[in-house]
Amino acid sequence: MSAQTRKSINISLAVFSVLAVIGVVCWILQLTKGLQMTNLGTTNMWGLYITGFMIFTGVAAGSLFFASVPYLFRLDEFKPYCRISAYVGAVSSIVAASLFIIVDIGNPERVWLFITSGNFTSPMFWDFIILLSYMVISVIFTRQLILVHEGKKDEKSVKPIAVLAFAAGILVFVTSFVFSFQTARPMWNTPAQPLSFLLAAFAVALAVLIILAFILNKIGYIHMPVPLISKMAKLCALLLAAELLIIIGEVLVGLYPGAGGEYEAVSWLVAGGGAIRFWLEMAAVVGALILLTRQASEKGGTILFGAIFAFAAVYLIKSNFLQAELFHPLLNYAGPVMYGDGAFYYIPSLIEIGVSVGIVSLGAFLLVIGLRALKLGE
Amino acid sequence: MRYAMAIDIKKCTGCHSCSVACKVENNLPDDIWWNRVLTVGGENMDTPMGKFPNVKMEYLPINCQHCENPACVKACPVGATYKRKEDGIVVQDYDKCIGCRYCMVACPYSGVRQFNWKKPEYAIDIAMGDKDVTKHQYNTVEKCTFCVHRLARGEKPACIETCPNRARHFGDIDDPESEVSKAIQGRTYFKLLEEKGTKPSIYYLT
Ligand code: SF4
Ligand code: SF4
Repeated sequence: MSAQTRKSINISLAVFSVLAVIGVVCWILQLTKGLQMTNLGTTNMWGLYITGFMIFTGVAAGSLFFASVPYLFRLDEFKPYCRISAYVGAVSSIVAASLFIIVDIGNPERVWLFITSGNFTSPMFWDFIILLSYMVISVIFTRQLILVHEGKKDEKSVKPIAVLAFAAGILVFVTSFVFSFQTARPMWNTPAQPLSFLLAAFAVALAVLIILAFILNKIGYIHMPVPLISKMAKLCALLLAAELLIIIGEVLVGLYPGAGGEYEAVSWLVAGGGAIRFWLEMAAVVGALILLTRQASEKGGTILFGAIFAFAAVYLIKSNFLQAELFHPLLNYAGPVMYGDGAFYYIPSLIEIGVSVGIVSLGAFLLVIGLRALKLGE
Repeated sequence: MRYAMAIDIKKCTGCHSCSVACKVENNLPDDIWWNRVLTVGGENMDTPMGKFPNVKMEYLPINCQHCENPACVKACPVGATYKRKEDGIVVQDYDKCIGCRYCMVACPYSGVRQFNWKKPEYAIDIAMGDKDVTKHQYNTVEKCTFCVHRLARGEKPACIETCPNRARHFGDIDDPESEVSKAIQGRTYFKLLEEKGTKPSIYYLT
């Protein structure tokens, strides 16, 4: 590692730790005053934290998956970078995903009940198991890859764990069951959702890996050729395009009847309280598609911006998906005022944003620590 | 044995007495209502549906439906909400609830489950409610219990006794001689959102 690289790494460690500390302070504030510090309410009981959970489980699954692909399909040119991807899946994104759940629940000191009193019929319990398995698989996988890199093991030995990682990545569609199995939520209760979750998970994982590749190239940690990154970009675009088709389908299916519950939810999304963010979502998707598929320049700057757009697009897709349904419950007759009534859309509070930035920074901090301590680079 | 409730929509005048009785009996914190009387069709509570002069008032009292196939119970990751084998009542264990609010997402009867977003605060300084009611907990979800504490003493839920129009009936639906079975006999009724597969235990008489 060059001195320049080392310097960049140390600076980023300092920045991320400051942000993580700010996140901790926000969380302490939330713990002392309760979840009233968020902008959630009885109707929209889930928000930014659950969106963060969806995104980072997706990143975990996707980076695990993409770390396994070069070993299963002999894409030798990508192999040197798999360790980083596996590590992103093993540590950073799993920690982030778990923390997003911890900060969302009212009694984090009771999480051990997941182990002592887990309910096997609950999709949220299944998610817990999946996250645990991701953690185990990806830690073993990362370790094996490092051993191969050091020449202590031969490449064939990673095959079994690569197969596991590949399967685990695809299993991310199980995380959609938390939403898609609920008959109380018609917009989520469709067979398209599991597929949509898979597409979004892989797209957002690629976006994160692309952004990471650019940063690590810049500081000289790796030297990944732009044409290789460009291949990832094309795949990311393909996944986003498929996701876009599902969304367009959902919108048209909802609008066509012209009345009824789903119609109201979808019209809220395209022309009501949720419109600004829906059209931002569309702009982000289209922007990402254009930038990711354009002929890349020598430095590939357009790809970097495309990946940032793709990340924003998946965030907006997930958050709009959540809010459009929550703001349109099955029973919406007027009645006594309940906590949080009167809101027509949801914007996260500063505390929620602070906590979330803190969590992401902690994930990034762990990533940088890994980059420094383990032999993840070339 | 399975407890059930019958609510006579024809008799309900929307006086909100049951809501208030529930609120007092269970010492419910501010902003929390286990039992709400919704106004059907009107834009605000207690406003009519339709356009003058063709207006109409109709009410829909709603509390936890104590479903036979409760979506909330299936969803809860830690089993903090469960159905009692002996009488079918869906209860909530405050000491176990991690406060993830997944049950609120899963229940089709929006709003019957409510979360303590802040430390329970009360409208007046003196504690109200029955001495046997479980203490409310910060950061947990709660809902109608069919007044389990009163049933244990052989009494009926507070809302049943309070309704001035005798629109509410309660009892063991498996017993043809019970008050609720008799109230249903010969009447047409509907159950809320039955198509969602939850098999609710509240009969709305029409
Ligand atoms: S009404 Fe909702 S909270 Fe009550 S038992 Fe049914 S699903 Fe559960
Ligand atoms: S909020 Fe409590 S009762 Fe509801 S699902 Fe979570 S742990 Fe179970």
